[in-house]
Amino acid sequence: MIKVQNFEVRVPDFRLQSISLDVGPEDVFALIGPTGSGKSLLLEGIAGLVPAAKGSVQIGGVDVTHHPPETRGLGLVYQDTALFPHLSVRENILYGTRYHELDAPTVRSRFDRFVRRLDLENLLDRSPVRLSGGEKQRVALARALMLQPRALLLDEPISSLDPLFRDAIRELLRSLHEELHIPFILVSHNFSEVLYLANRGAILRGGRIEQRGTIRALFERPETPFVARFVGMQNLWRCSAREGWARVGDLKIRLNGPAVQGDDVFLALRPEDIEWVRENANEYDNVFQGRVMDLDGRGFYVRVALDVHGVRFSAFWMRHVVSRHSLETGQVVRIGFSSESLHTMRVDENPITGEGAPDGARAL
Amino acid sequence: MKPSRDTLFFSLLFFVSLPLVLLVVLPLTRMLTQPGLADLWEAIADPVVLRALARSVGTSLAAAGICLVFGTPLAYVLARKEFPGKRLVEGIVDLPIMIPHPVIGIAILSLAGRNHPLGQFLSSLGIQVMGTYWGIISVLAFVGLPFFVNTTKAGFESVPTRLEKASRSLGAGVGHTLFRITLPMSWPHIVLGMIMCTARAISEFGAIVIVAYHPMTAPVLIYERFTAYGLRYSQPICVWLIVISFLLFVGMRFVSRYRRVEA
Repeated sequence: MIKVQNFEVRVPDFRLQSISLDVGPEDVFALIGPTGSGKSLLLEGIAGLVPAAKGSVQIGGVDVTHHPPETRGLGLVYQDTALFPHLSVRENILYGTRYHELDAPTVRSRFDRFVRRLDLENLLDRSPVRLSGGEKQRVALARALMLQPRALLLDEPISSLDPLFRDAIRELLRSLHEELHIPFILVSHNFSEVLYLANRGAILRGGRIEQRGTIRALFERPETPFVARFVGMQNLWRCSAREGWARVGDLKIRLNGPAVQGDDVFLALRPEDIEWVRENANEYDNVFQGRVMDLDGRGFYVRVALDVHGVRFSAFWMRHVVSRHSLETGQVVRIGFSSESLHTMRVDENPITGEGAPDGARAL
Repeated sequence: MKPSRDTLFFSLLFFVSLPLVLLVVLPLTRMLTQPGLADLWEAIADPVVLRALARSVGTSLAAAGICLVFGTPLAYVLARKEFPGKRLVEGIVDLPIMIPHPVIGIAILSLAGRNHPLGQFLSSLGIQVMGTYWGIISVLAFVGLPFFVNTTKAGFESVPTRLEKASRSLGAGVGHTLFRITLPMSWPHIVLGMIMCTARAISEFGAIVIVAYHPMTAPVLIYERFTAYGLRYSQPICVWLIVISFLLFVGMRFVSRYRRVEA
């Protein structure tokens, strides 16, 4: 169990502040955010590699805030794997064992276990310099796991890899988490990457936690426009929302369920939740007519920009549908979306929100 | 095949710089080829010459050794830590490159003289600077220091801090990390720094001639032979000094190539 409370780190030109989170052995906790949001710095802060300016870090109930990194017992795997280039794969894997009072049979059995588990038998005498990205990642994992860490900290473990290896490493991390039953903390700038791996997470922005919760909640119920944009809600409008209706420009959009009300709030909608309505218009509680302004092919789907009574919509439609019905720029189409796909949020751009942040964190 | 415009352009650039290259190559070639083999043999058979050459190499290596022991920690601190006054320390390290060499010699002598407490302290230990190996080696360490510290610092900087952090997270303390990760990885740079420091020290004349005319190092001997007997008698010693410098240079290139292959 890792518990971070009101944690603050200062480096030149950047400050990580008011960070509170707790990660249990059942969690794969994702620290998500754009480049420069401080997520890797937070990871190093938890590992003790950068000093805390404020707050505390507890591991298994022990306050380690001022303990040096080598005594914290955390496994750290960097994005570029940080394998020692002057040592062989075997020497890399065994590097930390001499600092952990392990007897030879223990070292041997763990070594055999992880070498077999991570499929490294044929790489042991090679230099890590010439390994593929996936192989390096596996060696770095073995090196960390040899020491039975109390938690595993992973800095962008997947996005740096060749697409070819991504699925394999993702799968491996998932099954390792089930086997080891220790907290995983995972840094990523890519939300779709963590959807598969993580169960909880926090979205960072400018050194603060913008929102925190289950991955599902982050994905489905963003609380700020920043998070909404980050999790892919590309349609984001300022509107007034009252009693089940939102007004965006001249459009009157039906809302559903709990909504933030007010004269100036944000309304968000995912592009993939907007359908092209050719029949059965009554399946949707919001149907509008709009003009196609732009078609932008993106592989399997097409991003369609629409003008609906002066309001811009962005929709993702399957490529084969668009080409079968020969959709063209300038064409007038009907679009529909369910009121359940809509999310409202306050305009306040920088609130601290989350699942029970301590009062200290809220006050800052 | 017609040379491309790029090739022509780069050839032009090269020809612009050619005079400078020739300035180095021509005099050295002339000097290397002028003395006959008999002259060279005669020079090296002269015990005075042989001793002077050996003295030059020995004192230069000793100076490099001193830089290794005392300069490596400084280079590591400069490569890894930010602290107030760091620019000043870096400036001090670079200072010996800028100061005229006789000035260095005079400065060291004035500190080691009987009028200065340090000089008194040293002489109470029986250490004389004027006209001794102590003097030569301290002057050579002075002039070689910037070459050693800057090269070694660049070596430390080339080791990613993430590797050190990974080592710490695996349980190794600061010291173990330095000795198991940082030093082995920057070793080629350290060797390179020692070679540059040695090469610089071997060629030192201006400061040495002030601090220690005797025991005579090779450059001082060359100067003496030149003023006393003329060009012809100084040239063979010059050739031997160049050969030794060249061997150091080859060693340096070899190490830096080895470094690149490894990376």
